[in-house]
This record gives sequence, C-alpha cells and structure tokens, in this order.
Amino acid sequence: MKFIKRTDFIIIAVILLASIVSIGVYTLVTKDSPVYAEIYLESELMMTIDLSEGIDRHFSLEERPAVIFHQTADGTIRFEESDCPDKVCINAGALSIPGQFAACLPNGVILKIVSKDADADSPDMVIGN
Amino acid sequence: MNGNGSADINITSKRTRTLVLTGLLFAVAIVVALLEGMLPPIPVPVPGVKVGLSNIVVMYTVFFLGAKQAYGISVLKALFVLITRGAIAGALSLAGGVLSITVMLIVIGFSKNKASYAMTSISGAISHNIGQFIVISLIYTGTNMWFYLPLLVIAGVITGLLTAGILKVILPAVNKLVK
Repeated sequence: MKFIKRTDFIIIAVILLASIVSIGVYTLVTKDSPVYAEIYLESELMMTIDLSEGIDRHFSLEERPAVIFHQTADGTIRFEESDCPDKVCINAGALSIPGQFAACLPNGVILKIVSKDADADSPDMVIGN
Repeated sequence: MNGNGSADINITSKRTRTLVLTGLLFAVAIVVALLEGMLPPIPVPVPGVKVGLSNIVVMYTVFFLGAKQAYGISVLKALFVLITRGAIAGALSLAGGVLSITVMLIVIGFSKNKASYAMTSISGAISHNIGQFIVISLIYTGTNMWFYLPLLVIAGVITGLLTAGILKVILPAVNKLVK
C-alpha cells in the first residue's frame, strides 16, 4: 500500500476547489439577505436579535451574566466573554452568515444566525424545542 | 496429529495476539485522545475542530487488524467518552468513529486495496467530521449545514493528511514491536 498516489493529488485538488467555490457561492448568495441572531439557553429560544439594526452593544442573558455577547453595527454578533474553560464559543469569532453558529456547551448557550425568510428557503427546525 | 496440534496452537496464538493487540490499541487510543484534549483548542471559526489524533490508532486497526476490531475500539472509546465527558460528547465520538470506519472500509473495498494511506485517511477524516456535525446539528441547533460542510471537508483533508503522515512515520517502529 502506497502512502500517496499521483491521482490522489488531483482528487484532493478537486475536493478543495469544490469546497472553496461552494463557500464563495454560499457567502455571495446570502450576503445581502437580512439576518437574525437567535440565542438559545438549554435549547430554549431566549432572544431574537435583528442584526441589521446597526447598533453596537454588549449584553448578556439574565440567567448567564458571565456570558457576554457583542453585537456590532455592521451586522455581526459574537461571544465576547465567557466563564467556560475551553473558550470554544469565543474562538468561533464573529458570526454574520445564515447557518453559522457558535455554542458554549458548558453554559448551555447557543448562538445561531438565521435568515429572515428562513421558513421559506430552508428546512430548518429545532428538534426538542 | 502432531501437525494438527501445532496448527491449532498457531490459530490460538494468533487469536490471542489479535485480542491483546486490540486491547493495547484501545488503551493507546484513549491516552492519545486524552493528551489531545490537554492541548489548547485550535483557534478556527468552526466549533470543535480537532486533529483527531486517535484516528491514527483506528486507521492502524482498520489496516492491520480488521473491521471488527476497529468498530470494537471505536465503540469502547465512545463509551469511555460517555463516562468521562457526558452523553453528548459520547454521541459525537460514536457517530464520528463509526461513520469514519465504515467509509474507510468502503474506500479500501471499492479500490480493491489500491487506495493509498493518504486517501483512506482523508476520506475517514472527512466522514468523521460530517458524522459529528450531523449529531451536533440534530441535538443543538437544527441549523443548516451548508455553511460548515465545505469547511469540514477542508479540515478533513488537512487532518487526514496529517494523521496519515504520522502513521507512516511511526509504522516501522510499531511493526517492530508487534512482530
């Protein structure tokens, strides 16, 4: 068994190219669609934020004061601070594209971006809600 | 009679060898996973991406021991994760592990053993990511996967190449130990 074959490089190149193109297409298609951010606590929808309102603010859920969100004027939202040990939520960075999400599992907080017309164009559903 | 007897002993010793080796590999898989858990998380904008170093062990098992042993290690490892890190982490481990072994076996089977280490490893890594992601989106958000799918594929290519490379490097040493 060989470590790598010449044809592998072609397959890898095609896979990478297809992935990059689909990221580009998805980003372009959803770029101008207005989006909401939804914040869930233990799978319960706590807040829905219109990201197109263009305000810059920090806030947190009453139940989780240590988890601070940062909404920016240019329509992104991120986990700014959290008391969890792994900081996966903060590493997820600023979200603005429908489908993106960040989760702070130790705190049970999930932040996800949804398109305003989500019901019409995607089979989204929240299971166990 | 004599010949038969030694054949029996050979078969038994081969079985014992496989059994012991499977147990050892399971132990190594757990230790590697624990060690990886101690490393700082990779700062990438995709939730929970890891190199998946214990996939090296699973790959070795798929290549040199067999499907049964590989599934066994993967299920036991998921149980270990379930006990130590909770139900969700356990479900993630199980989904990723089982799907990646299945896909690697399919790749090996379809190519009639001609697929390279790198290609097998990459397909395993990609399917591992996708298996985990399906579980994440089922349990947590029900979000659409379209944004993350290509990122997971790219991550799978990179981590798959990395784990195949490491396996290639340590393989001679492992073979010396095993034989």
